[in-house]
Amino acid sequence: MITFEAVTKRYPDGTVAVDALDLEVPAGKTVVLVGPSGCGKTTTLRMTNRLVEPTEGRITLDGKDIREQNPARLRRGIGYVIQQTGLFPHRTVEDNIATVPVLNGWRRQKARNRARELLTTVGLDPALARRYPYQLSGGQQQRVGVARALAADPPVLLMDEPFSAVDPVVRSSLQEELLALQRELQKTILFVTHDIEEAIKIGDLVALFRPHGKIAQFDTPERLLGDPVDDYVAGFVGFDRGIRRLSFFRSQGLSLSTGPVLSADTTVAKAQAAGEPWILVTDGGKPHGWVQADSLGGHQGDTPLSQVPAEPFGHTFTVGTDSLRAALDAAVLSPAGQAVGVDDNGQAVGVATFDQLRAAIQTAEKAADDDAADNSKKRAERAPSQPSQPGQPGPQGAQSGAQP
Amino acid sequence: MIWSWIPQNWSLIWQLTWENAKLGVLSALYGLIISLPLGIIAARWRWFYPPTLTVVNIIYAVPSLALWIALIPAFGLTDTTVIIGLTAFSLCVILPNVVAGLRAVPAPVRQAATAMGYGPTRRLVMVELPLAAPVIIGGLRVGVVSSISLASLGQLIGVSSLGYLFIDGLQRSFPTEIYVGLICVIVLAVVCDLVLVGVRRLLTPWQPRRQVALAQWPGLQRVALRRRAA
Repeated sequence: MITFEAVTKRYPDGTVAVDALDLEVPAGKTVVLVGPSGCGKTTTLRMTNRLVEPTEGRITLDGKDIREQNPARLRRGIGYVIQQTGLFPHRTVEDNIATVPVLNGWRRQKARNRARELLTTVGLDPALARRYPYQLSGGQQQRVGVARALAADPPVLLMDEPFSAVDPVVRSSLQEELLALQRELQKTILFVTHDIEEAIKIGDLVALFRPHGKIAQFDTPERLLGDPVDDYVAGFVGFDRGIRRLSFFRSQGLSLSTGPVLSADTTVAKAQAAGEPWILVTDGGKPHGWVQADSLGGHQGDTPLSQVPAEPFGHTFTVGTDSLRAALDAAVLSPAGQAVGVDDNGQAVGVATFDQLRAAIQTAEKAADDDAADNSKKRAERAPSQPSQPGQPGPQGAQSGAQP
Repeated sequence: MIWSWIPQNWSLIWQLTWENAKLGVLSALYGLIISLPLGIIAARWRWFYPPTLTVVNIIYAVPSLALWIALIPAFGLTDTTVIIGLTAFSLCVILPNVVAGLRAVPAPVRQAATAMGYGPTRRLVMVELPLAAPVIIGGLRVGVVSSISLASLGQLIGVSSLGYLFIDGLQRSFPTEIYVGLICVIVLAVVCDLVLVGVRRLLTPWQPRRQVALAQWPGLQRVALRRRAA
């Protein structure tokens, strides 16, 4: 656990980068610091491994004040990943990864073996071990950066915009892999980004900074989208936060209709009898395409649907696993205006119309709001609001759900 | 050109080449040895560099012969006098490269090294100096070549070197000797330069080939560095 207690960083020219910051990063959780440039998020991160020393206040790591530890030793216990990767150009991939184990006194061969293991962990081919950084793509370099940070198995990881310099496709897969890695490793992660989308995707908790180093809201991503404390937060999370919040609602509450789902050997006559404006034709249980009922008139009644030209079904959502946002997106992009739900094997389970989606969204929102109301009641009972943020939920608000 | 003169005087030519090489290479090495600590200090404490550079440039502006003459009262007509003078000159070309090389270490790399838990000295030895090596060696190449060439002038104060062939050839109006001396100086310089290129290749397998091609020419390399900095 990392704790910031009234931490201030003031530069000699009077600029305040971080202003009386209180923040708690629970063990095994990912806390994302997000905000505009110059809001003090990177300074906050760098104070954690003493690359920057605070002017006032105290930072503790598992209860121990970090100032009581030798900086070099402290840093070897904290993984560090930065946007520009900071890989050592003169060392091979394996020696880059082995840096901290070697500093800790491991024998080189043992450290290199560990490095090769980690290459697999971060999704790279161990054959890359002997390459130099310049021979890797940006995404590969960033993975090596993550492997290097993990090499000595530190309990804490600091990540400073680690994925900002790679293209959106690679960024998205790196984010997914970080999430998968984190499920397995349970590190305490402090992650800095300026991208609210990334913050919401990566963070268990998100601290949204105002300019000049104050936290505007510290909350779960879901509540940041659903219940922003003020206009600044609402503005920062964006105008489509309603849509994005749907990412947190699972699609199992969504009712699906099976009426329009017909297999490819069904005859045109039967399809017309179904009385649906659009038919989802399936082939071996998998979606094949959409056929509009009006277009069936020109065909013989005994023609199987497989011989009728179908429109592509676009993308599908996996029932239960995917969020309502994915389902809504599938409906928007579908020619029939209906989302195709499939199971884990890609078999069509049913389709959902906008009406069905709306009903599911309303149910999910009501449940979330009840939960939120419950939380804020508990919060009001438990603690007065922060002096720096009168009348607003305190930064500890997010944890209140876990309190007895 | 009287070719038969060459085999007849082979041992003289060989001896003069060796002495000339010794003067030039030792001076460049001493120049490097002094440049490293000065460059490290200048790269870390920026205020130190401008005055140092001024002093170094003033030394560089002094004609070598004048510098040697100034040193004669202290060290006599010896190798030491020549080497001290040449060391001062090679220092002038190597020091700026040490500073440029260390300053060109990318800030994220330096920061990552610190964050990994390197102390300042270890970081310097394990990360910064290896990364500055190509630029430093670039400076060393210029230092060696110019020292070898200038060492031949040591003959003017009686220190044995290839300059003997120039002076003797001139006095006897015997051009063959002058040509031989000239070619020996050039070959010696090119050989030393190529050895350093080889050393750099061995030390820096991590450099992309494109940059290696640029680094063949120290002047160009400095231009490339400046562009990167801009």
